[in-house]
Amino acid sequence: MWDSLRQSLDLTLFWEYRTILLRGLLQNIYIFFGGALLATALAFAIGAARLSKRGTVRIFSTGYAELFRNTPEYVFLIWVYYVLPIIFSRLLATKINFSPYAAAVLALGVSYSGFLSETVRAGILAVPRTHIEAAMALGMSRWMIMRRIIAPQAIRRMLPEALNQYVSLFKATSLVSLIAVEDLMYQVSMITVHEMRPLPLYTGAALLYCGIIIAAAQCIQHLSDRWRQRGWA
Amino acid sequence: MLDNFNRLVLANLHTLGAGLSVTAYVCFFSFLLAVVLGAIACLVRLYVPFIRIVAIGYIEFCRATPIFVQLLWVNYVWPEVFGFPKSVLGAGIIALALQSSGYLAETFRSGIEGLPKGQREAALAVGIPQFQIMRRIVMPQVLLVMAPSLVNQMTVVIKSSTLVSVIAIPDLMYEALKIVNAWFEPIEILTSTALIYVVAIFLISMLAKRVSDRFRNKYGLAAQA
Amino acid sequence: MTTPEAIIRVINLRKSFGPLEVLCGITFDVREGSVFTIIGASGSGKSTLLRCLNYLEQPTSGEIYLDGKPIGFRIEADGRRVPNTAANIRRMRAELGMVFQQFNLWPHLTALENIIEAPLRVKRLARKEALDIGRHFLGKVNLFDKANEYPARLSGGQQQRVAIARAMAMQPKVMLFDEATSALDPELTGEVLEVMRALAKEGTTMLVVTHEMGFAREVSDRVIFLHNGQIEEDGSPGSVFSAPRSERCRQFLSKVLH
Repeated sequence: MWDSLRQSLDLTLFWEYRTILLRGLLQNIYIFFGGALLATALAFAIGAARLSKRGTVRIFSTGYAELFRNTPEYVFLIWVYYVLPIIFSRLLATKINFSPYAAAVLALGVSYSGFLSETVRAGILAVPRTHIEAAMALGMSRWMIMRRIIAPQAIRRMLPEALNQYVSLFKATSLVSLIAVEDLMYQVSMITVHEMRPLPLYTGAALLYCGIIIAAAQCIQHLSDRWRQRGWA
Repeated sequence: MLDNFNRLVLANLHTLGAGLSVTAYVCFFSFLLAVVLGAIACLVRLYVPFIRIVAIGYIEFCRATPIFVQLLWVNYVWPEVFGFPKSVLGAGIIALALQSSGYLAETFRSGIEGLPKGQREAALAVGIPQFQIMRRIVMPQVLLVMAPSLVNQMTVVIKSSTLVSVIAIPDLMYEALKIVNAWFEPIEILTSTALIYVVAIFLISMLAKRVSDRFRNKYGLAAQA
Repeated sequence: MTTPEAIIRVINLRKSFGPLEVLCGITFDVREGSVFTIIGASGSGKSTLLRCLNYLEQPTSGEIYLDGKPIGFRIEADGRRVPNTAANIRRMRAELGMVFQQFNLWPHLTALENIIEAPLRVKRLARKEALDIGRHFLGKVNLFDKANEYPARLSGGQQQRVAIARAMAMQPKVMLFDEATSALDPELTGEVLEVMRALAKEGTTMLVVTHEMGFAREVSDRVIFLHNGQIEEDGSPGSVFSAPRSERCRQFLSKVLH
C-alpha cells in the first residue's frame, strides 16, 4: 500500500506533462469565464424578473430558476450538446452543430444562472424596505431608486454568495471533458492511456483543482471579511 | 416525435426503471455515508484538539475538489493504494459520500455553533447531564435549523449521481445513454431523462420542505423562505 | 458574619476574564428564606456573581458554600482541596434554580414539557409524577391553561413565568434571578414581579439581580450595591435606599430612582 501511496504522490509525471495539462486547464478557465459571464447576465435578468409586479413574468422566471436549480449539470450538458442542435436544426430547417465549447459555455452558463438568479433576488430583497421608503418619501423615481439605492447595496450583499457560486461553476467545468472538450481531465485521461500510470495523474489533478479552489475560497473569505468590516455586506 | 417517444422511451421503461432504482440505491447509501463521515469530521473538528487539523484538511479537500475528479480518483487510484473499493459501485458511493461529507460537516458545525448559548445554559442550570442536553435540547433544534441545508445536499447528491454513469455504474443516466448510442435518437430519451431527474429532485425538496414547515408550524416558528 | 442558617456563603470571590477583573473579592452570606438583592450599574459584575454561584462561570478564586457544602471543589479525607467532578457540580446546580434574562425556554418543547424535562432527566422521576409537579408549578405561575403551548406562541411575560416554574419544579434550595425582567416590555414586567413577590412571601430563598428598584425596596431583606466588582454598600433596603453611605451608591440611586 505504501508503495502505491508513494507512487500516487510522486508528481514528477504530472510535472513532465505540465504544458499539455496546463493547456487543458486553460480550456477550463476559458469556459469558466464564458459560462460565468452568461450566467451573470441571465441571473440579473431572471432575478429582477422574479420581483416583477406582473404575475406572469414572476411565474415564468421562478419556473426558470426552479427548473435549472433542479437539473443535474451533467444531464443538461449532454442535452445541450446532443439535443439542442437537433431541435434548432429542425426549427430553422438547416443543419446546426454546436462546438463542444459553445455547448459547454451555454450549458454551464444557463445551469448556474438558476442559482445565481436566486442570489440576485436575495440581494435585492435584502435591501431594507425602509431605505426605499425614505427615497420614495424624498420623491425619487423608481429608476433612480433602483440605480442609486438598491443596486449598490444589493450588489454588495450578493457578492460573497455569488463568488461561492462562481467557485462551484469552476468546479463544474471539470465535466466538459465528457463532451470532448480538451480540458484538464481530458488530457489526464489521454496521458493515462498513453502512460498507463493513473495514480499520480489523477491524484495530481485532484490536488491541482483542490489547490486552485482553496486558494480562491481563501481570497473570497478574506475579501468578504474585509467587506463586512467596512459594513458593506 | 410522439411515435419515437413510444418506441424509445415507453418500450424501454423497465430498463430506465432499473437504472432509476440503481440511482436511488447509490444516492441513498452515499448520503447516509456522507452524514456519518460529515458528523465525524465535524465533531473531530470541534472537540478533538490534536487531530483537528486533519479534520479541517479533510473537509477542505472534499469541498474543493470537483465531484467528477473525485470520482475518477477514487475509482482508479484507491483500489491500488488502499485495496478498496473493489467495485465501481463502491467507488461511486464513496466518491459521492466524500463530496457531500465536506459540506455536511460545515453544515453541522454552523448548526451547532449557531445554537444560542442560553439554550445549553438553561439545561446546565437545572443540572441536566451533558448527554441528555445533546439528545433532548441541542440536536432537535440543530436538526430543524439545518434541515434546508441537508435537503440541499440531498439534491446535490442526486445531481452528482448522474456522473457515476461514467464509471459504468448502470444508473438512469447510463441506461439512457446506452439507448441513445443504440438508436442515435437523443431527443426523446435525453429530454425524458432530464425531466425525470428534475421532477424527482423537485418532489424530494417539496416533501422535505413540507415536513420541515409542519414542525416549524407546530412550534410556532415562522416558515422558512 | 456567619450565622447558623446561612444557606449560601461566599468568601472572597474573585473572577477575571483574562486581564479584566470583574469580581474583586466578594464576601457575603445569605440567610435561608431571605430575599437578597444585588443592584449596581451595568458592568459592575452582578450577573457574573450570580453565574459563579451555579458555576456557569468558574471563579478565579474564592469559596462558595451551599448549605455548608463547597461548590466547585471538594475537601478530601486528608483535608486537601480538589476540584469537583462534573457530576457533583451538576448535583449542586440542581439545588440552585436559575431564571435568565433571556428566558431560554427550549422552543421545541411545550411549556409543560419544558418544566418537566429536568425532573425527568435529572431526578429520574416517573412521567406521571413529573407531570403532576409540572402542572402544580405551572398553576403557581398562573399559566395552567398554556400547558401545551409552544414558547413561540407565548408573550415575553408568559415565557418568563414558565421559566420560573421550570426552575421551581426542581424544588431547589435557592432561586437565582438574573435580571429576570430586563428583557421584558414594561407592561409585562408586572406579572413576573408578582410571581417573584409570591415566592418571596412563601419563604423561598432568593438571590435577585435587578434594576427594578421598587421591587428591591419592597421585597428584599438585604441589598448589596456592587460597583466595579466590589460591594460598596450592604444593608437592609431601608438603609441602602434612604441613607446610603457610599457616594457612588447615592449617585447610582439618584440616576435610577426619580
